[in-house]
Amino acid sequence: MSLTMDCVAKLKILLLGESGVGKSSIILAFTKGDYQAQFPATIGVDYNHKIMDVNGLKVKLGIWDTAGQERYRTLTTSFYREAHGAILVYDVSEPKTLAKLNEWVEELQVYTTNKNIVCLVVGNKIDKDRAVPREHGQAFAQKHRMLFIESSAKTQEGIHLAFEELTQKIIETPGLWEKDTSASNIRVTEEETRGQGGSCYETTCSIK
Amino acid sequence: MEDVLDEIVSSEDLQKFERVFHEQLHQGNVSHKAQFEYAWCLVRSKYPTDIRKGILLLKELFNSHPEGKRDYLFYLAIGNARIKEYNKALHYVKSFLEIEPANQQVLALERQINKRMEKEGLIGMAVAGGAVLALGGLVGLGIALASKK
Repeated sequence: MSLTMDCVAKLKILLLGESGVGKSSIILAFTKGDYQAQFPATIGVDYNHKIMDVNGLKVKLGIWDTAGQERYRTLTTSFYREAHGAILVYDVSEPKTLAKLNEWVEELQVYTTNKNIVCLVVGNKIDKDRAVPREHGQAFAQKHRMLFIESSAKTQEGIHLAFEELTQKIIETPGLWEKDTSASNIRVTEEETRGQGGSCYETTCSIK
Repeated sequence: MEDVLDEIVSSEDLQKFERVFHEQLHQGNVSHKAQFEYAWCLVRSKYPTDIRKGILLLKELFNSHPEGKRDYLFYLAIGNARIKEYNKALHYVKSFLEIEPANQQVLALERQINKRMEKEGLIGMAVAGGAVLALGGLVGLGIALASKK
């Protein structure tokens, strides 16, 4: 049995935000624990994946890194389809990157097909001199009913927590991921056990 | 999808950007943006004829619009890899790495191309081909030496 088959769900996660806020760096920090001071602009769309353990559940995260550059704006929206989660990134040392997140939120609302997609706002680069107070980021997230976290891809602070919180919230939103293509026998077992009063998490343990 | 070489454009995207490109073509003034967007869809099509068309459009852009060079090189590599023109694809990857040697995205693409070549037995063939050439060289050398005596 392959590693993927053991996973109860495959989740599609998007990273959105202006060019240079650190989307690719966040992914590199999360998937490889690595950091690069000079990160070239992402070309088009890049794909990475990582298996994550959430409450004993093995979940495969397919992480889609989108170019923040204007020239790709019209092209990358087609990747928003069927995403389970979105991480909206701004740079705490550049206030305009938070203001610009409004546009990304609007675009996400237009092009996403999962209306209950889970969104997380990330204020990145807290290792630098701050120009955006934490409260501003928090207020933005609250206004759009999104999760919020501050991070530094450079020091790794908040990086894992960000993906954990997002994944946790997606898992807690059953309608969002149960219709995923993961093996159908898992779904059947889940329903049976649920009838006996077991929770989602217990169910998945019994499958293993 | 496990890597960027498997990703396939949706037909609605392809049609959308094709329409824009052709409208501009009729007006006799195609913008870099429209040509790139259309080419970007074409090289991600499942049909080799589309991919080849995309490659031509990207080559044209590469020669006429230096600012977009890295984007064009990257998708030239992807397009060629998808029609199994692996050597051409690697050539574009190398040209890219000459400009940005540490680019993770391009290094990952290089690994994927090599993996595919290996899977399809192309690296083995190249090695075997090299051995035949080397053997031929030795035989040739032997003959040359023998005839000198």
